[in-house]
Amino acid sequence: MIEPLTLLTIVLMAGATYFTRIAGYLFLRNRTLSPRLVTVMESAPGCVLIAVIAPNFVSGRPADVIALAVTVLAASRLPILPTVVIAILSAGLLRALLP
Amino acid sequence: MSEFWRGLKVSLPVLLGFVPFGLVLGSQAAAKGLSTLDITLMTALNFAGGSEFTVIDLWTWPPTIPLIVALTLLVNSRHILMGAALAPAMRHLPARKVLPALALMCDESWALGLDDARKRGGVLSLPFYVGLSLGLYLSWPSSAAIGSIVGPILGDITRYGFDMAFPAVFLVMLAGMWQGVSAARPWLVSLVVGAATYLAVPGAWYVPAGALSGIAAAYFWAQSND
Repeated sequence: MIEPLTLLTIVLMAGATYFTRIAGYLFLRNRTLSPRLVTVMESAPGCVLIAVIAPNFVSGRPADVIALAVTVLAASRLPILPTVVIAILSAGLLRALLP
Repeated sequence: MSEFWRGLKVSLPVLLGFVPFGLVLGSQAAAKGLSTLDITLMTALNFAGGSEFTVIDLWTWPPTIPLIVALTLLVNSRHILMGAALAPAMRHLPARKVLPALALMCDESWALGLDDARKRGGVLSLPFYVGLSLGLYLSWPSSAAIGSIVGPILGDITRYGFDMAFPAVFLVMLAGMWQGVSAARPWLVSLVVGAATYLAVPGAWYVPAGALSGIAAAYFWAQSND
């Protein structure tokens, strides 16, 4: 069984996402976006992602901050799976070693 | 070989990148208290990983629906641009075929579909695109479902550092979007404003505050470059 409120959330999410998928085709197929708007739309998803994880950068716990730095380094050069493993291991180890 | 199978074959190596994301998403959803049915339905109907990771990370009970819908729109706003870029290659197709096909458009199917269309004089092969997209699409809810089942088992072993998987996933996605220091300046604005808001204001307001200030900065910087 699924909670009605969870179902409603999922359906509204899916509706919003489908809207973004067809909007460009429906409204912009005969026009061109200004370069400025293209630049803004290219950086928008990254702005959202970094805002979501912003609290991790100011947790104030030395172990977590170092583990996050290790994770940033891993993410900049490795694919998803090794990065996640390194992130989990470094956080687990550092929390055990540091106060 | 039919165009459909050619598309499906092209999707196979891309699946290697899809499945680990799906597994991580599923296990994170389980950690937040969502059932396997919940996350399977979400990934099957929404099919946009960035927004799903965002929503799962901020998941509370009861869910904050306006915030969830707004963030989904923001994270997926790039689709508007992608659809507009793909539109000229679909002019030969009727809207009744294009609109369902666009439900399967993700970053990878868009990029590979557009690349293939360019090699064919700017005309998208619909069966190729559908084969490609369907291969990717089917892997997403199934890997998320598996992740939500095996995640809690793995979670017992990795519990103490498991929460670091979230920023790790987001940072890998950001690395994939990286287009140089100059293009990343709005992200820094989002990070600083988001962190400051988090420290000053209770609740999840740091997300819209950080995201919108970064977008405003991007708008400002893009204008001054014109």
